[in-house]
Amino acid sequence: MERFIAGLVKDFESGKLDRREFCQTVALAAIVYGAGDAANAQATRGFKMIGINHISYSCPDYAKARDFYASVLGMESTPGKDNGKRANLMFGPEPGKGGSFIVARTAPADAKPSRAVVDHVCYTIADWDEQRVRGALKAKGLEVGGRDGSLHVYDPFGYYVQIASAEAENAFRR
Amino acid sequence: MEGFVAHKLAEFEQGKISRRKLIETLTLAATTAYATEGAGAAEAKGLKAALINHISYTCPNFRQAADWYSKVFNLDQIGARDRDVALPFGKKGEQPYNVAAKDVPLTHLIFRTRDLNPTPAAGEAPRPKVQAVIDHVAYTVADFDREKAKVELKSLGVENVRDGGLYSLHMTDPFGYDVQISGLANNALTDG
Repeated sequence: MERFIAGLVKDFESGKLDRREFCQTVALAAIVYGAGDAANAQATRGFKMIGINHISYSCPDYAKARDFYASVLGMESTPGKDNGKRANLMFGPEPGKGGSFIVARTAPADAKPSRAVVDHVCYTIADWDEQRVRGALKAKGLEVGGRDGSLHVYDPFGYYVQIASAEAENAFRR
Repeated sequence: MEGFVAHKLAEFEQGKISRRKLIETLTLAATTAYATEGAGAAEAKGLKAALINHISYTCPNFRQAADWYSKVFNLDQIGARDRDVALPFGKKGEQPYNVAAKDVPLTHLIFRTRDLNPTPAAGEAPRPKVQAVIDHVAYTVADFDREKAKVELKSLGVENVRDGGLYSLHMTDPFGYDVQISGLANNALTDG
């Protein structure tokens, strides 16, 4: 900034800028500089979200949940992470590169009371084909509800699982 | 595939293609054929979740919850309605992190205030009794540094900030819900 203003001064002194132009330019520079600072200050507050790391799913029998999510949604139980009480069920990008996982655990469902509840999770299926998706769910013996592009089933513990296309469930199309 | 290989081999023998070209062509053909077969097999077995589309969070005051998540995670609020609002993990047109497929949208959170046990509509079966709970959600954030994150969370007025293993922090949102944050180092291979 200092160098910039020094240049303006030089231009002013040499007659390249008149007073009015000089003043306007310095004022504009100050506005731009201030806005930049404000933007930077705002960006440093809070965190930059990358994605869902994991969701912790507690139920009476983690193995049933593990088998359901692996079978119905193609999730993969992480090798070496199934200890008989919990399993990590991976999906999406690779682990460590933005992938997500469900931690399925055998634990009391009311262990941590709060005034909020995550009442369902919706998963995106790429290359959506309504008939194929419905068929795949029915082939697993599930009762399928919902509308075109957004279907739902219940997992073995009555948890509502939504399955959708990018077209039907998209924050920017609400 | 065999016919193709034979054809390319003949071309090599006749001097029409070089040894290097033959190897490259066959390698590409073999890997492509394998990938196609793999995809077909996956399709036949069932579906594959590409990413979480959204998480539905219900609480007594959705605006208060949305404001908290907006503040802590720098998320915009869009499509606000009387009883809900969405917070996508980025701006319109952005791709989810490390996702190439164009038909996989940014994950978003939906904050709602609603009755979770409404009377079923005529002809609709009642919801089954829920025996499972998602007791916390963990978010991956960029450039995570645990000690710096603690300071930042405290400066934002976040309550009950505590360590969560080597790679993460836990905290409590305004409705007592357990929220975890970490960097990419906390993942399916390192957690548990």
